[in-house]
Amino acid sequence: MNKTLLGYVPEHSPIYSVHPFVKLFFLLVVSLFPMFISAPEWNVGLMLGIMLLMIYSRVSLRTLKMYIPVAISMGIIILLSYTLLGGVQPQYQQITRVLGVSIYWERLRDALVVYFRVVPMILSMVFFLSTSRERDLIVAMRTIRIPFVVTYVFAMALRAAGMVLEDFHIVRQAEQARGFDATGKSIPYKIRKYVMYMIPLFALSLRRTEEFTNALVARGYAFAGEGARVKRADFVLTHYHFSVMDGLYTTVIVLLFAAILVARYGFQRLTVEDSYFLNWLYSIIVSAA
Amino acid sequence: MANAIEITNYSWAYAHGNGKALKAVNLSVEQGECVGVIGPNGAGKTTLAYSIDGLVPGQYHGIKEGTVQIQGREVEDYPKGMLQREVGLVFSDPEAQFTAMTVEDELVFGLENLGLDIPEIRERLDWVAELTGLGPLLQKPPYEISGGQKQRVALAAVLAMRPRVLVLDEPTSMLDPLSRKRVFEVLGQLRKVQNTTLILIEHGLEHVVPLADRMVLLAEGEIALDAPTPSFFEKLDLLHHHGLHVPGAVEVVSRLKNSGRYFGELPRGVEDARLVIQEIIDASSTKQGAV
Repeated sequence: MNKTLLGYVPEHSPIYSVHPFVKLFFLLVVSLFPMFISAPEWNVGLMLGIMLLMIYSRVSLRTLKMYIPVAISMGIIILLSYTLLGGVQPQYQQITRVLGVSIYWERLRDALVVYFRVVPMILSMVFFLSTSRERDLIVAMRTIRIPFVVTYVFAMALRAAGMVLEDFHIVRQAEQARGFDATGKSIPYKIRKYVMYMIPLFALSLRRTEEFTNALVARGYAFAGEGARVKRADFVLTHYHFSVMDGLYTTVIVLLFAAILVARYGFQRLTVEDSYFLNWLYSIIVSAA
Repeated sequence: MANAIEITNYSWAYAHGNGKALKAVNLSVEQGECVGVIGPNGAGKTTLAYSIDGLVPGQYHGIKEGTVQIQGREVEDYPKGMLQREVGLVFSDPEAQFTAMTVEDELVFGLENLGLDIPEIRERLDWVAELTGLGPLLQKPPYEISGGQKQRVALAAVLAMRPRVLVLDEPTSMLDPLSRKRVFEVLGQLRKVQNTTLILIEHGLEHVVPLADRMVLLAEGEIALDAPTPSFFEKLDLLHHHGLHVPGAVEVVSRLKNSGRYFGELPRGVEDARLVIQEIIDASSTKQGAV
């Protein structure tokens, strides 16, 4: 298994033949698709498409299980925000009253549209993180000639996040070894005692920063001056080759995006009025009301 | 030609430290020379290493007195990032020096900073991976490998830059005896082939003694003893006073010398000591036979 940002991908997967830039491009562009699609059924189709890509890439779909509670809570929050907390809108069609609050069809519809926009965006991020390593991100950014210092700071931020988690684990074990364990205690207690983790963690982070700066200087890296003017050879890019297939994948993504824009703004499709699902739901709910 | 390292009346006090970390240190090291630095914890060994690599005073606030010159030029006079082309520093905590996502990226990071082209980087990468046995680990994240492997990566990353002066701050503390022996063999080879100047800061002296031309004892920020390796260990009382462990073979012969039973040079290893002891026994038998 090969470790990725979000888990593991088997040793042999077709995703390894895809250039990291294509994966990053997929994330950046495909996650924009739902912004231009209001009809939920199309966004559900997009979700299914991403899941098929995950299966094809041999990403374990069990990764998605951990997002189910997040998806449910997010759905509830969106629904409540749009319906119960949506305010009084006399121009909208009221379908019922709950606890003295009017529930409007338009607000319910908007909640569904927003929810089915957010979920495929998250899914495309999960797909990207499940199939990419930190190095892929760096390679993708360097491929499009983003300055080294920017990609490096980004890479370090990624690494720092992992290191802080590791340090947190160490501090927690050290606290437990000395008899302090918040397991099974109430949340207010845990919050109060969290300071016992935070102080050593903060001190460790400061030390790490110092060590890291020393390491950069000791290896001849300079942010300014003569040392910074050296032309760097991007050795990591020698391992990656932007193939014809990569060009094809990128073109397909661009064409799909263009098709969505044309359908939306040229032919007024993919809208709420054009949605079979919303029209069906409207006929059921509003007729019943 | 200027010495590789020329430290004159050098003192350093950290801004928030208690007193001076180094006091009036004088040290001259020729190109290609190997100097072993030993001393108890808190003696100033790491500060000395940082001073040679320019991290002190470059990265720390404090008060400096005296001069630290590398290849005849004061460390502060080097433009940023240029001194490190001359001096390579291997930190005692290998993880502290990792700056990349994979072992391979780690090894090439310094080479990219030097401005080398791709074929040269590839040649050095292959060389150092072969030298340190890191070939199978190149695609792994450096923070997911074992302690010993991390130390090898840290060493390899600096070796690949081929500096003229190499400062190693306890580079083998996490290694098993076999890997440790291998590292010192590599250092010896580097010195022979590339005439690299070595400053070896180590607690375990068994491997340093055969390699070092000179030994320096640092105690409470001062150079308490600076002598060629064979005569360094004649001062057993001073070394013991500072809590230092002298290799057994060297100590036995040193005691024999101090008691007037041997007059030659102290041995550098077990085999040398065996020969010396054999010589003493033979001399003693001859003497008894004559009587």
